Amino acid sequence: MKLVTRDYWRASWISLGLAALFVALLAGAQALETPTSYLHITRAEVLSEETRGFMPPPYALAALEPRGEWTARELPHAPRLHHPTGGLPQPDAALTQIIWYKVTTGDLAPIPAPHYLYIPRWKSDGTIAVYGDGRLLYQSHANLQWNGSNRPLWIALDETAGARPPREIVIRIQHLAGIGGALSSLWVGDGDALRWRYLTRDWLQAQLPFMSSAAFLALGVFSLAVWLKRRGEKLYLLFFVISAAAWIRTLHYHIGLDRLPVSDEWFGWLTVNSLFWLITGTHLFLEQIHQHRQAWLNRAAFAVTIACSILTLPLPGLPDATLVAPLIYVALLALADMAFAADLWHSWQSRSHNGMLSAGWCLFSTQFGVHDWLLQNNLVSIEGLFLGAYANVGAFFLFTYVMFRRYIDAHAEVERVNASLEERLHQREAELTTIHRHLREVGQRELLNRERQRLLQDMHDGLGSSLVSALRVVEHGQLNENEVAQVLRGCIDDLKLTIDSMEPLDADLLLLLATLRFRLAPRLEASGIALRWQVRDVPPLAWLDQRNALHILRILQEAFTNIIKHTQAHEIRVATEEKSDGVVVTVSDDGQGFDIEQAMRKGGKGLTNQLRRAEAIGAKVSWESSGAGTCFSLWLPAKGGRVPDAKQTVQPKNLS
Amino acid sequence: MSATSDPSLIRVALVEDDVHFSNAFTAALEAAPDMKLASASATLAQALQALEQPPADVLVVDLGLPDGSGIEAIRAAHERWPGCAIMVSTTFADESHVLRSIEAGASGYLLKDSVPKKLTEEIRSLHGGGSPISPLIARQVLMRFRQGGVPTPAPARQRGDGDSPAVLSEREQQTLEFIARGFTYDEISGLMAVSRYTVMTFVRRIYTKLEVKSKSEAVYEARNKGLLAS
Repeated sequence: MKLVTRDYWRASWISLGLAALFVALLAGAQALETPTSYLHITRAEVLSEETRGFMPPPYALAALEPRGEWTARELPHAPRLHHPTGGLPQPDAALTQIIWYKVTTGDLAPIPAPHYLYIPRWKSDGTIAVYGDGRLLYQSHANLQWNGSNRPLWIALDETAGARPPREIVIRIQHLAGIGGALSSLWVGDGDALRWRYLTRDWLQAQLPFMSSAAFLALGVFSLAVWLKRRGEKLYLLFFVISAAAWIRTLHYHIGLDRLPVSDEWFGWLTVNSLFWLITGTHLFLEQIHQHRQAWLNRAAFAVTIACSILTLPLPGLPDATLVAPLIYVALLALADMAFAADLWHSWQSRSHNGMLSAGWCLFSTQFGVHDWLLQNNLVSIEGLFLGAYANVGAFFLFTYVMFRRYIDAHAEVERVNASLEERLHQREAELTTIHRHLREVGQRELLNRERQRLLQDMHDGLGSSLVSALRVVEHGQLNENEVAQVLRGCIDDLKLTIDSMEPLDADLLLLLATLRFRLAPRLEASGIALRWQVRDVPPLAWLDQRNALHILRILQEAFTNIIKHTQAHEIRVATEEKSDGVVVTVSDDGQGFDIEQAMRKGGKGLTNQLRRAEAIGAKVSWESSGAGTCFSLWLPAKGGRVPDAKQTVQPKNLS
Repeated sequence: MSATSDPSLIRVALVEDDVHFSNAFTAALEAAPDMKLASASATLAQALQALEQPPADVLVVDLGLPDGSGIEAIRAAHERWPGCAIMVSTTFADESHVLRSIEAGASGYLLKDSVPKKLTEEIRSLHGGGSPISPLIARQVLMRFRQGGVPTPAPARQRGDGDSPAVLSEREQQTLEFIARGFTYDEISGLMAVSRYTVMTFVRRIYTKLEVKSKSEAVYEARNKGLLAS
């Protein structure tokens, strides 16, 4: 952050350095001047007359006019003011005064032309007209009050054909009695010698305040845009308020040479009161920095600001802002001193570096205000500069610095948060990976366990029990070789189907039936029974996993075994079809048939097994038997298929 | 044993470590008038040695040998005895054993629990150019060719009966689909209106293609496994 700070100040110094360079260039022009190329006039003959209303200046002055008692006075000349209060009088009815200044330039011919008259400062609250040897050379053409009197005058003396430099210059200032009306010392002579003085003064007095306030406002608008998106950050809004108030206030310094689009009353109200808004806004801004709320102070600031803003509105019966400005500024300066001192104190308390810097500058520049007030009231030399504009320039740099810091900090914060988020994301990812691996391991273990269970069950029900019963029979010597071979063949067939059931089927029932046929073919062939394979494509059964497949294989295997063993059939027909939300597999034979009810009552293990297995997978088995044969049907649901209960036991198959 | 007897006899070589099966097999051959046992090896080493002799017509190999895998014997025989029809003898004809053997160059399998008559029938059929196939294997072969990345391009199919080794012809594919639905060779020959023999040669050709395909895919699969290993 230190580096950031340094960068900011580096940028500030560079811009200030550029400004200084500009001034230095202007100053360099001084080298061109020679002592004899200009006159600096510090004495004048002065004549004043009381008038009523404002009259336009005469185009030409007759010789020896105006008449009256001329007295010699030092320049700058500034009469003591006695402030009228109340509304601004009507121009044609107001008590006014004309002050004439007469200076002799002598013979300007030896000085190189063109010649210029340079007036660093004048005050009028009315009009100014300048005559050279009785001819009108220049007149103000602006509002009466706000007439750009902060702009130095630069008047060409002999820029017309056949003109010769005037020997006598007369200046006529008509102003409201009691206010305005003052003139600085005058400069006459070679343009090259005087121009830098004029330009420097104009730049310092008008251009610099104008430019900086515009820049300030531009940043203020940016801040406003930020605030509109982030309403919580009042600092940005206050920055905008300050910049806008400062911009309005700075209009004083640089506009008015032309007639304003608003009346003097409104312009005065706006620019005088903007100073109140500026001070109050700045105080609130500082408060945001040091984060110490001062309720009473804020109430006082708001009260003063609102009261002044309302009481000086350009309405009938209310005092004119411009006229009472010198009085209310006293209250304002007191308020500013108090508020900024408090802000400085609280910034110190909260060790806010930015706060101390900003409040310190504000307190310091309030003293500029004191100087400007004295200058406004002709209590110090009127040739001095109004310093208030520089207070704004300084505040601009400081406040911009604060905003800049905030902006950069916010970015850094975002980056930091992002980095930590990323780190947390990585952690989470790692955790998830671990969890996922655990789950996979658990899942795999479960899968293996289920497979093991399934095979164990099958071995127990099928192969195991067949072998055990075969063993018992062999032990009792009741089986011949051929019968033993048959039992063993049955066992191997069982085993083959078990193995086949482990293959992935992809929900293909026909593949399952095909496999069954493939395995039973040798047995059927040996028994001489023909097989008619009449399967048709059926929709895939999504629930047909390995476990369910084995149940189906066993059910159908049993059906075939029954036919081969008990029916003397010559032909078996196997068919599939889609029926009532499922698929039906029929195995029909042309044997002698059997009594189903009786078989059931006898508790034939084969049939019971088929029923149980069917129930375990949500399927249904049925028999239709007559003397002409038996039709066994297995209905399989299109969807679902019950997930078999692991605890459910299936009776051993009756093979013997 | 004389190697120069009647040329019409089918000369069968056996690689089998189980004495009981070996005996049963020998007995079955002796009972068949058109067959003759050329050699019998009980180990992989003996089998590789036997391959040095003049080629037999049919070689029957068990995969579980005491000194190695029968797959190696199949591979070596496929190379040295190119004209010999190789079959793997298996208890279950389970898909993984059979397919591995076919990829190594076998063109059929023999179920060990077959009755003697069936045993010699299978050998005869293989020697005659036919190959057995189970529905599960048919299904598996179909999947292998389908997932081979390239869906069979139409022009390649129309080029007649499977000239391209990487692609199944339409009829070959049809044959496999029928088998996977449980139809026998006889039924399929009826359904496709070709002779039973033709159906059997379709299957033989499918096996050859599978072998070629698996060879060309070896590199790719190795890479694929490397990827999966990470």
